[in-house]
Amino acid sequence: MKILITYLSSLITLFFISCSSKTDQEKPKVAVVISTLNNPWFVVLAESAAENARKLGYEAKIFDSQNNPATESDNFENLISSGFDAILFNPTDADGSISNILKAKTAGIPVFCMDREVNSDVAATSQILSDNYSGCVEVGIEFAKSLKAKGEYVEILGLVGDNNTWARSKGFHSVVDKFPNLKMVAQQSADFDRNKAMEVLESMLQAHPNINAVFCGNDAMALGVYQALQSAGLDKKVKVFGFDGADEVVEKIKEGKIVATGMQFPKVMAETAAKNADEFFKGKRDFAQRVPVEVELIIQK
Amino acid sequence: MNKEILKKSQSLIGLFILCLLLSLLSDKFLTGTNLWNVLRQISVNVCISVGMTLVIITSGIDLSVGSVLAFSSALGVGLLKNGVEFGSFDTFMGFTVLGSIMITLLVGLALGLFNGWVITKFSLPPFVATLAMLTMARGLTMLYTKGIPISNLGSSFEFIGSGWFLGIPVPVWISTFVVLIVLFITKKTTFGRHIYAIGGNERAALLSGVNVSNVKWLVYGISGVMASIGGILVSSRLNSAQPNAGTSYELDSIAAVVIGGTSLSGGLGTITGTVIGAVIIGVLNNGLVLLNVSPFWQQVVKGLVILLAVIIDQKSKRK
Repeated sequence: MKILITYLSSLITLFFISCSSKTDQEKPKVAVVISTLNNPWFVVLAESAAENARKLGYEAKIFDSQNNPATESDNFENLISSGFDAILFNPTDADGSISNILKAKTAGIPVFCMDREVNSDVAATSQILSDNYSGCVEVGIEFAKSLKAKGEYVEILGLVGDNNTWARSKGFHSVVDKFPNLKMVAQQSADFDRNKAMEVLESMLQAHPNINAVFCGNDAMALGVYQALQSAGLDKKVKVFGFDGADEVVEKIKEGKIVATGMQFPKVMAETAAKNADEFFKGKRDFAQRVPVEVELIIQK
Repeated sequence: MNKEILKKSQSLIGLFILCLLLSLLSDKFLTGTNLWNVLRQISVNVCISVGMTLVIITSGIDLSVGSVLAFSSALGVGLLKNGVEFGSFDTFMGFTVLGSIMITLLVGLALGLFNGWVITKFSLPPFVATLAMLTMARGLTMLYTKGIPISNLGSSFEFIGSGWFLGIPVPVWISTFVVLIVLFITKKTTFGRHIYAIGGNERAALLSGVNVSNVKWLVYGISGVMASIGGILVSSRLNSAQPNAGTSYELDSIAAVVIGGTSLSGGLGTITGTVIGAVIIGVLNNGLVLLNVSPFWQQVVKGLVILLAVIIDQKSKRK
């Protein structure tokens, strides 16, 4: 008897819960699933996506995938079952994230990729992408120009398991490797981390004290590298190049301390993705699969 | 007796062989600047690992050090940079460098004591309690910084991480000082002896009148303080508090402790061993970059060194 009452009452509760969520449905819910919140750049991307969605009159919630496709998969399952209506998505992995997107698609939830792409044209509703490769081609051109196509340099890579790391590195080398007198004397990783970049460069400078330039896979590492050069008294001699467009680096470029960076536009990408979701709710279905957002080269004036 | 000495100096011999190898492979290794670089770079890990050693000797573990480092330093540095505004009283409180350092140390102590409290009061396994703190403190850091680094902290603060005093980098002074204090604690105080007693046999220690809970509390508190000292060193060196500072530092420090011959099951271990362990990791990091070893291989090599060190250690203990 007791069991029956418990069972019935929980059924009734469930009924009310489902009813109440039905009445709430006038305001669609938008999920922002972000690869990581452990990096200021992605925090900006996530928060401006959520903000834009709220501005357009939707409820918005941020999910952190902690750079882990498995966590991302959990996030998708949770948000599908809790009735979200659209996903603004920054994938953790170009291949690994596809199955997650398809899960949402099967449940009838549109997915709008931001910044990073997935290797599929049929999974996401649209992809608003920052072109890391072309951006670093630009940085590479500036690099060759600034060094007058001659000199020794070292490269500091980001996380070696991250596809952005290699997109950037390949874009850069597609230009720079064409100049036989530009010689890369060492290539090391510093995991996109400022402290690690500083320590790695301190060691590299011991082996290669005569380098003319350093190319860094992101701006946090460029700042760490600059600090190492400064304390070695080499900051006037060695040219530093970064990527991302972090405020601190833009400041240092103005002061003539860092040569160039590729400025990415997380806010533009977030806004476009949110706008697309809005149009989707209003009935639009024909979205361009890939919309590249150009990377702007910031250089010394 | 000879065997005893050999056993004790094992990690030292390992370090010596490593240095010999590296100086043969690269003529840049044994230079003054390079060695100062290595010592400055390891000073953070030395501070953390020394605290970790005490925890591991009690047969505990502290996984939260990296996050405690990040939160305590972010809070201290944030106050140094922005102060506190009491809107309702219309007053503003600024912080000096010394004040911000005190805050950082106090936060480290508080988080560490909280770990100790949870572990002793609720008899939670240290692994679980500090794992929870690892997540919480990282979350608090993100909340406080909103994920954005706090930068440009002024030259007097920067001096702690980048300055030189009497021809030696300031971080090396600080870590040496920390090591000496903890050495004194373990060798000369009853508290130090109690740490070993608890790790050897907690029940026996309890029966012979050791206040096990208090000793544990204090040990985790010390570990928290050590993490926050590491935080001050990192943020002053970078002139910036990074929200993701200290990520996976717990693993580096556990590695240093283990390479230094401290047993993870407690009761055994030395501070000097840990310092040598931290130097070995630092030298290895530096050497692999000097030789331009591919980043993929570096991780494999580091893992192998840890394995090798522990295997040799186990063998010598069995004999």
